[in-house]
Parts: sequence; C-alpha cells; structure tokens
Amino acid sequence: MNLIEFKLPEIGEGVIEGEIVKWIVAPGRSFAINDAIVEVMTDKTTVEIPAPFAGVMQAHLAGEGDVCAVGSVIATLREAGDESAPAPAPKQRVDAPQAAASVGAPRRSDPNILATPAARALAREHDIDLASVPVDERGRITKRDIVDAHARAVAAPAAQPVHSPAPARAPSPAPAARTPAPPTEAAVATSAPIPRRELAARADETIPFRGMRRRIAEGLVRSYSTAVHYTYVEQIDVTRLVALREQAKAAAKQQGVSLSYLPFIVKAVCHALKRYPIINAELDEPNGQIVLHKRYHIGVAAATDQGLMVPVIHDADTLSLLDLAREIKQLGEGAKAGKLAREQLSGSTFSITSLGNIGGVLATPILNYPEVGILGVHAIRKVPVVTPDDQIGIGHIMNLSVSLDHRVVDGFEGASFLQEVRRYLEDPTLLLLAGI
Amino acid sequence: MPTIKKQALVIGAGTGGYPCAIRLGQLGVDAMLVEKDQPGGVCLNWGCIPSKALISATKLYHKSQHAEHMGLSFGAAKVEMPTMQGWKAGIVKKLTGGVKQLVKGSGTQYVTATAEILEPGRVKLTYPAADGKPDDIVEYQHLVIATGSVPIEIPGFAIDQKKILDSTGALELDYVPEHMVCIGGGIIGLELGQTFQRLGTKLTVLEGLERVLSVCDKDTAQLVARRIKKDGGEIVTRAMAKGWTERDGKIWVSAEVGGETREYPADVVLVAVGRRPVAKGFGLDKLGVELDERGFIKVDARQQTNVAQVYAVGDVCGQPMLAHKASHEGEVVAEVIAGHKTVNDARTVPNVVFTEPEIASAGYGEEEAKQAGYEIEVGKFPFAASGRAMAIDETDGFVKVIIDKRDNRVLGIHVVGPEASDLISEGALAIEMGAFAEDISLTIHPHPTLGEAVMEAAKHALGEAIHIGNRRR
Repeated sequence: MNLIEFKLPEIGEGVIEGEIVKWIVAPGRSFAINDAIVEVMTDKTTVEIPAPFAGVMQAHLAGEGDVCAVGSVIATLREAGDESAPAPAPKQRVDAPQAAASVGAPRRSDPNILATPAARALAREHDIDLASVPVDERGRITKRDIVDAHARAVAAPAAQPVHSPAPARAPSPAPAARTPAPPTEAAVATSAPIPRRELAARADETIPFRGMRRRIAEGLVRSYSTAVHYTYVEQIDVTRLVALREQAKAAAKQQGVSLSYLPFIVKAVCHALKRYPIINAELDEPNGQIVLHKRYHIGVAAATDQGLMVPVIHDADTLSLLDLAREIKQLGEGAKAGKLAREQLSGSTFSITSLGNIGGVLATPILNYPEVGILGVHAIRKVPVVTPDDQIGIGHIMNLSVSLDHRVVDGFEGASFLQEVRRYLEDPTLLLLAGI
Repeated sequence: MPTIKKQALVIGAGTGGYPCAIRLGQLGVDAMLVEKDQPGGVCLNWGCIPSKALISATKLYHKSQHAEHMGLSFGAAKVEMPTMQGWKAGIVKKLTGGVKQLVKGSGTQYVTATAEILEPGRVKLTYPAADGKPDDIVEYQHLVIATGSVPIEIPGFAIDQKKILDSTGALELDYVPEHMVCIGGGIIGLELGQTFQRLGTKLTVLEGLERVLSVCDKDTAQLVARRIKKDGGEIVTRAMAKGWTERDGKIWVSAEVGGETREYPADVVLVAVGRRPVAKGFGLDKLGVELDERGFIKVDARQQTNVAQVYAVGDVCGQPMLAHKASHEGEVVAEVIAGHKTVNDARTVPNVVFTEPEIASAGYGEEEAKQAGYEIEVGKFPFAASGRAMAIDETDGFVKVIIDKRDNRVLGIHVVGPEASDLISEGALAIEMGAFAEDISLTIHPHPTLGEAVMEAAKHALGEAIHIGNRRR
C-alpha cells in the first residue's frame, strides 16, 4: 500500500507558512482530484488546498489551529485504486475511548523550559502551555507553579454571574445525599430569586479562536500596544458634494458604475496626504527613522463574514473617480468572497474605514499598523445649518474621525490634515481644479 | 473461529509490552497480552538479567584472584560453569514467573500464542500445538506492537550456537572457552566478552569502526578498551570479519584489516554486531503502518503510528534499544489508550553499559552539547581521588558533569567506574528536574560513598571542588 505524504504547497509569493483553519476531508474519507481537502490561512488570505489526485485521507498530521511551514507534511493520503489498502472504514467499535485518536494531541514539552516531570504532567492534564507559566528567578517551573496557574485559570471565569436553579421547581429525584434541602416556605416568600425558565439549556457557546479572528486580534494588539493613538473629529458640511454626486451618479451609471461618496473621500485624502506627507508615513524604529511614502496606497476596510479585511487601492492618487469606484467595488466583492490575492491585501500606506449608513457620529479607529493615520467616515445626515446669509437652512453634515499615531504626527499636523480633507469635500470644485 | 473482543491488544510480553499490559489493567481497560515465547522478552530471558548474573559472578571470581595485595588469597579457585548456569536460570525463572503473575493481577488477560494481523481490527491467535486449542480471533480497538528485536546475522557466520554464537548462545555456554573471538565491539559484545575474559578466556575483539563502544563518550570507552588489553585481550579496529575455517581443532576467523587478510584463532565466535527490529512477518503491512528506512516503526510523541489507534513501543520503534526506554513507552501508551493526555515527554533515556569498568550516561555528551549550540563547562572528578573507590579497590574511572555556561543548568552526566549504572539515576533525575550544577553541589552526599564523586564533579564544573584542584573560571 502506498501512503503519500501531503505537503503544504506554495500558497503565494513570499508565503512561508500557513495556519490550518479547517480540515475539510476527515480521516478515512475519500476525495476526488481537485476537491478541497483543507482550508489554510496565510497572513492575508484563506485558501482551500485542492487534492492532487483522487484518494482517501489516511491521517491528519497537523491539527486545526497549527501553523505549518510551506513544504511540511500535513497529512498522509492514499491514492484511489490502491485496493491492497485496508477498507476505508476500519471496523471501529463505537465504544472505543476516542480521546486517544483526537486531533490536536498533546505534544512533547519544549526541553528548553526547565519544568519538573510532575509539573509537565500536570500542565498537560490542565492544557496549560508551559511557556505561559511564570517561572522562578532561575527560570524553573515546579508543580506548585502549575497548581497556581490552574487556580488562576479556574478563578477567572468563575467571576461571571452564576445562576442558581429556580427553587420554584420541584427538586429533582436525584440521590439524596448531594441534593440541597428544599427551601422552607418562609424563605421562598421573603428572599426567593425571581424564577427563570430553561436556564439549563443555555450553556455557554465557545468559538475557536483561530484563523482570521486570531490574525485580526494579533494585528490589533500590536497596533494598540505600540502606536500612541489619538482621535480628532470634525464636522463637515457636504451639501455641495451631495449635489455634485447626485448629478454625477446618472452619468456614472451610463458607464456601469454605481458612484458612492467613497471615491470623493479617497481623492480628498490623497490630496491632503500630499500636502501633509507626515501622515502617509511609518515609523521604522529599529533603524531610527520615519519613512515618508511617496506612493498613495489606500486601504479600505471591509466587513466580511470571516471578519475585518482591508483590501488596498494601489496608487489611488492616479485613478479617476470612476476607476476608483470600480476598484472599490471589485475589492469589496473579492473580500466578501475571500478571493483576493495577497498583493490586493497588502501594502497600504493609509486606511479609510467607513460604515456607510450606520456610520454613527463618532468613532476612535485603531490604526492599521504600521500606518500612522486612519480616517473614520460617518453617515451623512440632514441637519439645520446656518447658511452664508445667516438663514437657517437644510445642510448635509458628515463627521470624519481621524486617528493618528502621536509618536509621529503631532496634534497640529493631524488637525491640519483633516481640515485639508474638509476643504476638498466642502468645496468639490477644488477637486476639479486639483485634477480628478 | 471464536471471536474475542478486547479494548486493547498488546503483542509481545517483553519489557515494553508487559508494563503496558499491567498499566492498562490498572486503568481499567479490558486488555490482552499475547506472547509466543516466555514472558519478559529478551531482557529477562536472554539479555539484561542473565548477563548481569554471569557478570557479577565472574567479577567476584576475578576479584578473589586479584586480592593478594589486600592480604587475601583463596588458593586454587574452581569455576563450575553448569552450576553457575543453573543459578542464573533460577533467577530468570523467578522473574518471568513474577511477570505473568503481575499481569494477571492487574486484570489483563495473559495468553501464550502466536499473533497474526489479518486486517484492521482483527488478529488471529494460534496456540502452541501442545495446547491442542483451535485458533481464536481477537477484535481490538487499540493495538500495541511490542515485538522487539533480534540479533543481526552477518554473511559467513551462520549461528549454530555451538561454535558460532549470538548473545543468546554465549549466555548459555556451560564451559569456559580457551579462546573467544568477538565480532563487534559494541555494548553486548564487550559485556559478554569481558565476562569470559574474567574466567580466563583469551579475548579477541574485531571492531569495524575506529574505536569500540562508538555510542559512548570517547574517554569513557577508552577506559574499557584499556582494561580489556590489560587483562590480556586484543582489540583489532577497522577489522571486517569475512568467514572462518576449522583446522587442528581450532576455529580460524579471517578478517580484513588495513587491506590485508589476517586469521585469528578461536574456540567460539560471538557475533554481536547489533540487533534489528521485528516489524515484519506478522501482518503489520496489512494495517499500512509506516516504517523508517531502517525498518523501525515510526511513532509520534504518544507512541502512535501513522495509523490511528495502532501504537508501537520498545526496540521495534527505534534506538536506543534499552529495556527502561521500552517500559516507559509501554506505560505512556497505556495511559494514552485510557484517554489520558499523556505523551512520552522524558528528556533523557539514561544509557548503561555493564563492561569493566561500567559506563553510564544521561543527557548530552560534550560534542553533542556543543553541536546543539551550548557553550559548556565541564566538571570532572576521578575515582582515584575518592576514598571509597580506593577502599573497594576500584579506582579506574571518573564522573563528568557537563553544564550550560550561561546558567549552570545540567546538560549531561557521564560516569565510568565502579557502580556507574547505579550512580547515573541521580544524573537522570537532575536532568528531568531541570537541575543546576548548584542543586547537586549543595545537596549533602553521604560520606564515604561513590556518589560523592557526582557532587564533586558538579562542584568542579563550578570551580568549587574540594578534593581536586579547580581551573580558574
């Protein structure tokens, strides 16, 4: 019988590892050529790896959540037509202790961690990662340290409110020894909790913290714990922009483009970035320098079923409004379908996050690190405004929230940048003059 | 054929299989242990235990003949080989019988039969003809392969256990041969060769590599080679044994040494060139279990093969082929089968060699530690400076402690000398516990004992030895 080692293939240029998000083909199951057998996530995208031939999955060698190097063996496969092989479904008794064969088995401990055998065994028992346990001043871990770590882990969730069963219901006929005595009638009358129904059925649900979610979390933690965030908010009267866009919409539609406000905002941002280059920058701390980018790659945050993604409009300053609209649409659809290439998800120098109609009035966006600026776009709302001739009229007001990294961008420059964006959006003829 | 259903089936009752079976019983798993021969495997029947019996008896004899300087002379000593063999057989019988009782006592079923895997989940048991029982089928959920290893034979030296012996035959010899040629200067060959050397046999060791005991630290192996020569033996390195002829009532072993063919006289030839795993011949291929290029079964940290719920322990799954490694693996597998989160997480498998002097080690050797990227400090204490070693008249050897220069953690301990095999457990414990050299040096070791040498070697590594000079650190 020929067992074939299945190696994690090349996923994209420069990609050296991927995280196993989900095994699509379980051990013992057959698959056809090009069937997706495993879902793998790189730092930017999730891809389904196709089967190189038709066959049967023998064993998964990497568990879900494992990060594997490209070229490492992640499964063993058996080619179809290899009938010397055992039947695909060995006669497994249902009562077998299945724990032994489960994926994500315990591994050997890292021999560089000085943990006693008793500590290592107890850590395995409680699923405690030795690397996360505080060590003594010489770097050692004893059984006591694991006992303490476990106690902390148990104590943490216990802080959540615990519902006690409603005493209004009759006590179940369980073995008497452990059943608390039914409350007396007096107690029920004075201090009985309000009865709740069906509490038992509402157990906590757990969602595996891996794949996209873990990437997003890691990126945000790095951003939030590195950059010094501050947020500046300005109110913008976009009445003239609303009118302009109304006119342009019909013309754009003839060219098959649905024109939103976002292309105008991207344009305004590009012009403002050129005026304030310190915003289109990143801090290269190891080399002691601030890098000012001379190209304008604008990331546009998009919500997808898997979580937040930030596809990138490369060289946004060179595109026309219509082309910007086209590209934003393509990238948004690609992100939702999970079909974007790695290049389309990397390289941004500044980001924009817009929630459209539910955009609210204010936000404190988190930087798309290592960028130093991110612009939050809020909903356009009709409000009473004072017109130039001191009348009360109807204006279209939109708020913009810009978050900046104070290590690089001081408040004066940050505010000036947003005022420059405002200037272009309040008077869109400036956009024309600047060259759309 | 009647069918027996078992949660776990263990094939082979050696030092890997039987501890596994006992632990399975303790954990409440319905298990069966099947063995075609005697319980206890090579270790109890044809290896560790019988060889240690002969080694200790012959050491006593040898020492009694070399005690005049202590004021002791025993006159004409006599060696009764058949009696010695009978004494040895009694020990083996007692131990193997004990194993059977322990297995049964744990609740695991013990069966004498030959096992053959028919297909995934099914194994056929064929009972000895004398039992007259029909074959049975065992349907298992978990299968443990503990089939061990057998000696490697080399061309030109077919084993007849009369003139050409393997280790099993050498352990059964009921006379003292005048002249023994040992092909292979490894652990088994030298242990047995020196055993007969102590009784007066002229020993010739033919080793293919450039030194004997290539698996041991170089300076520990050197001491053994020196002792063999001192006792009148001969060691020929880079020698390839080619064949043998018989003339004038002697065996003549021909070997190629440095491009020329030489002949060595012998009464018996011991072939001890290594052992190979038993992974074939009982249907293992029907499960699709993967072997490595040298025929060992490949296993993961839980001793599981590439096939779910099929495990392997002991010699059959790789080097080092040591009984204590097999036992540990067997116990790990039992817990894994019972659903515990156990893995084989041992950081060192101590090595012991019952040569004269004995060699034992745990953890890294000097070269290994350097190759692993450590900057090391080495402490060494010779038994020649130990009062106890002088008092037992065995001052050959030393203790060496290898530590990490950065934080003094113990990386390896090597002992060559008296009772090295018993002294090494402290070294193994130190490594498992993540001990620093100070942990050993600050532990009070009783006086006067050989164990003080371990403490002194640790102190020496720190530049604080009391009974020998320290280097400047």
